[in-house]
Amino acid sequence: MDLLFQFLSNTGYYLADYRNVIMIVVGSVFLYLGTAKHYEPLLLVPIGFGILVGNVPFFKGFGLGIYENNSVLHYLYFGVVTGLYPSIIFLGLGAMTDFSSLLARPVLMLLGAAAQMGIFFTLLGALALGFLPKEAASIAIIGGADGPTSIFLTAKLAPHLIGPIAIAAYSYMALIPVIQPPIMRLLTTRKERLIHMAELRLVSKKERIIFPAVGLFLCCFLAPASIPLLGTFFFGNFLKECGVTDRLAQTARTAIIDTATIFLGITVGASTQGDVFLTTKSVGIFFLGAVAFSIATASGVIFAKIMNFFLKDKINPLLGAAGVSAVPGSAREVHLVGQSEDPENYLLMHAMACNSSGVIGSAICAGILWSFLVGF
Amino acid sequence: MYGLKAISIYNGWAMAFAGALIVFSGLVVLSLVISQLHKVLMFFEKKSAAVQSCPEIPVVEPSEDGFGCLLPEPFPADLNEIVELYTPLVETLGESFCLSELYEILRKNNFPHPHLTLTALRESKILIPDGDGVFTWNPPTEHDDNKLDEG
Repeated sequence: MDLLFQFLSNTGYYLADYRNVIMIVVGSVFLYLGTAKHYEPLLLVPIGFGILVGNVPFFKGFGLGIYENNSVLHYLYFGVVTGLYPSIIFLGLGAMTDFSSLLARPVLMLLGAAAQMGIFFTLLGALALGFLPKEAASIAIIGGADGPTSIFLTAKLAPHLIGPIAIAAYSYMALIPVIQPPIMRLLTTRKERLIHMAELRLVSKKERIIFPAVGLFLCCFLAPASIPLLGTFFFGNFLKECGVTDRLAQTARTAIIDTATIFLGITVGASTQGDVFLTTKSVGIFFLGAVAFSIATASGVIFAKIMNFFLKDKINPLLGAAGVSAVPGSAREVHLVGQSEDPENYLLMHAMACNSSGVIGSAICAGILWSFLVGF
Repeated sequence: MYGLKAISIYNGWAMAFAGALIVFSGLVVLSLVISQLHKVLMFFEKKSAAVQSCPEIPVVEPSEDGFGCLLPEPFPADLNEIVELYTPLVETLGESFCLSELYEILRKNNFPHPHLTLTALRESKILIPDGDGVFTWNPPTEHDDNKLDEG
């Protein structure tokens, strides 16, 4: 009988507290949004299930939890805390990205730069709310709307915040269809939303091959701390474009990125153990994450409007919202908002140009913030 | 510590300003460089072409499906003629297709001025957008043909 009672007292049902229950509800919401609503399912499903796994109560000391040495989850989490998974994901992203539209209209890259302003505004906001500089920088990078970049920088500067920051970043990425369209509509007139973009010129293969090398030299020499992200990103793109490594590029954009995404998703989800995750800091992070994301969207749109004062060929200001690096969610949203005004307005390719420059921009920002704060 | 005081103590203003400036200038330089990239490449291509003293006149080989040799070099003015030439190609793409796919086939078969022709076809509602960047082929009927001829 004692043995039975001892066993029962070690079960999850006995050990559960309200924080585990809250997090299990959060995980279920993620799974629901991913599976039923199709909001970023490739991210939300692994993270959502990871939240469920991480919040099964267990007897501490058995080497089961993600924060316990020698547990399986702890080993898998190694890829997160070292920044390994984000780096691998960037390799796959590079192998997927077609820079043709950006090369055809390089001016759109400025929108990717403008949208990074959300990061620096949020840095100030987080400092003002009492976060320490390294924590503030990790929170601010949510404004880049890039999950792997957020995780990478947080792993380097404030590893204790990886869970809430990753969850906030991916939540807002999944909520792009909810967050971005009202801001886009608020900041643009109907006339502006109806602007058609000029047809893009054809980009030669040579240009596409040279671009990753040029990008690597310019960006990584400027912010060497972004090498782990941009180095693999441009390498992946070179594999895709050079024409002689199709097999490698194919593996990078399928098996490799998928494997890294699965492990990153489930371990980040599992890192949200109720007792670690549910703190007032997490609430602050979620609030600041929403601010960062909104400012990033708004600054892209506003900058596009400013550019129109100087450009002969006007650009559709909606494209500014795609300057955040949520690929391809924000580009798709820009396209849909444009089409809701005029079904013959095709903004997708142009928005993808802004999106890919946003990826480069947010990775540079991560490198800059890391180098600013490495000695703090 | 909170508020503006915290920002000042932790050097927040300088970090934000310098960070924004660096990322902006970095991307501006990158965009300037890539905007000149095709011109630089063209310059080198012209230079290497000039080195070849007696360039051979390229012979246009008919492609596998034989469309390459049927076409006139200048941009065909008659839309009916274009439709007639394009229809067998479009049929290989299925009912709905992306413009990029059609463009690729036209390029492979050495059709002249594919961009202009596709634009003309879109404007005359022969290529009809289905949304999401997908198009369908709507060749003019006999009645439409007369209208096109009149136009």
